[in-house]
Amino acid sequence: MTHKLTGDGRVLSVDTLARVEGEGAMHVQVHGGEVTDVQLQIFEPPRFFEAFLRGRAYTEPPDITARICGICPVAYQMSACNAIEQACGVVVPEEIRQLRRLLYCGEWIESHALHVYLLHAPDFLGYPGVVEMARDYRELVEQGLRLKKAGNQLLELIGGRAIHPVNVKIGGFYRLPTPAELRDFRPVLEQALADSIATVQAVAGFETPDFEQPYTYLSLRREDGYPLESGSVVTSTGLAFPVERFDEHVAEQHVEHSNALHAWLRGSGPYVVGPLARYSLNHDVLTDVAKEAAAAAGLGDTCRNPFRSIVVRAVELVEACQVALQVVDSWRGAPAAAVPVEPRAGVGYGGTEAPRGLLIHRYRLAEDGTIEDAVIIPPTSQNQPSIEADLRGFVQDRLDLPDDELTRQCEQAIRNYDPCISCATHFLDLHVDRA
Amino acid sequence: MTLVIGVGNPDRGDDGVGPAVAARVAALGLSGVRVAPTVDPARLIDAWDGESDVVVVDAVRVGLGDGPRVVSLRVDEQPLPGWAACGGTHAFSVASAIELSRALGRLPEHLVVVGVAGCDFSTGHGLSSDVRGRMDAAIESVRAAVHGAHPTQGGPG
Repeated sequence: MTHKLTGDGRVLSVDTLARVEGEGAMHVQVHGGEVTDVQLQIFEPPRFFEAFLRGRAYTEPPDITARICGICPVAYQMSACNAIEQACGVVVPEEIRQLRRLLYCGEWIESHALHVYLLHAPDFLGYPGVVEMARDYRELVEQGLRLKKAGNQLLELIGGRAIHPVNVKIGGFYRLPTPAELRDFRPVLEQALADSIATVQAVAGFETPDFEQPYTYLSLRREDGYPLESGSVVTSTGLAFPVERFDEHVAEQHVEHSNALHAWLRGSGPYVVGPLARYSLNHDVLTDVAKEAAAAAGLGDTCRNPFRSIVVRAVELVEACQVALQVVDSWRGAPAAAVPVEPRAGVGYGGTEAPRGLLIHRYRLAEDGTIEDAVIIPPTSQNQPSIEADLRGFVQDRLDLPDDELTRQCEQAIRNYDPCISCATHFLDLHVDRA
Repeated sequence: MTLVIGVGNPDRGDDGVGPAVAARVAALGLSGVRVAPTVDPARLIDAWDGESDVVVVDAVRVGLGDGPRVVSLRVDEQPLPGWAACGGTHAFSVASAIELSRALGRLPEHLVVVGVAGCDFSTGHGLSSDVRGRMDAAIESVRAAVHGAHPTQGGPG
């Protein structure tokens, strides 16, 4: 919707930003040919879940926090488990870690397939949405749905069900899959791997604007593989620290236009989490098949163009499928489905790589395990300052575009981050105010 | 066999009416009926894949005006009307799932959407008293759809 202001000014607004998980608002102010202000307006409901967790038992966060998001419940469960286990001084056995990794692969496959095919690809192929795209690219969409279904099936196999998995508990799982169950699933993963490689090939050819950005990247890192279920924090500025020192390096601050807290790297400023950060800080530990797919797609050691995030996401689809196959092939069971976790007074941090980026949980427990304080830092709130910075630079270079086209491109720029506003907020509209 | 799918998030106020109605229908033990809840509309395509008779129950956020508070719409032959945009907090809506399935030729032969007008979608809230009062009417609409009383497309009253 466009409004004429007095003189030559005008206001352009889109009441609903489509194809973003959740809802919110974006406001862009232009004066005298200069972008003077960009605000991602987050009207976060009261941080309900953090408040809801206070006074609950230390065993409850995996089930409670899984309800924050229907797209990435495993991320919430895994970060919650890591944090509570750290507070209680427990390290789970390698078999449990591997099974968590496998469950997380299911979530990555489903979430990335949803975003790449159903939400983001239409931007690059010139369609208003996937419904219109499907009429011309039926096989491509079917490929995406097949991938999404494979992720869904993996979530059901390991998590008990795809939405809000019920098989996860502090210390491990309620039930372990048998080696035969995982072997039987192998053909689905083999097809998913083939579909993922084809996905990289398909999206590598998408035309993208030249929009390299000087991001500071932040992600988890493991020396033995691409980060999913655990790791320590590294940044592109050379920092490396364990998750439990997150508060020493990252500050959350309230900004007037948003109810969601903005995260800043102390002494540095905004940073980016998610596929671009993970890839740039961990490409050396990708599996060989993912490295080959990335190289064939023209990705180097880093990627600083947010419009190429769709290619990196596709490479991560390959990685998730290959890691899942590796876990399936090596699975021999475990002595127990879970290890005992006895409560004790203390603070624990948990960090895992949600599909959209690092997800931090912090809990303070009383001696009997009652949760005294809970803090959840979702990836989208960490990326908000960078989304705003992207919009500022992106709009500035395109002020000559007509309103409709500028708005469409702004929406695409926001979708580069696959923002899950439902985790951070709700209601997202887009307003460009030219005066 | 009819598949009844309740869509919505029980932690988002009236958005939870779909799963709530589905649970009540499951408790009735109707013969020839299977029930499934889901939070994410993007999973509908898989959920109804291969099914011929499906009823979807979801919250309707806006658009009923002074009309009925529970609507039943057959959508296998025509799209869900814009005024019946269903509730839900995610990008891929029930309407998206219907139209993508239609474009791919994967829509159930009979697909009915039962929409229940909601008013409060706040995080952490349960169903509003208004919506709780519409539950019986919603269940009756599901029963009617299950028994083949397929409604025709219509606008708000």
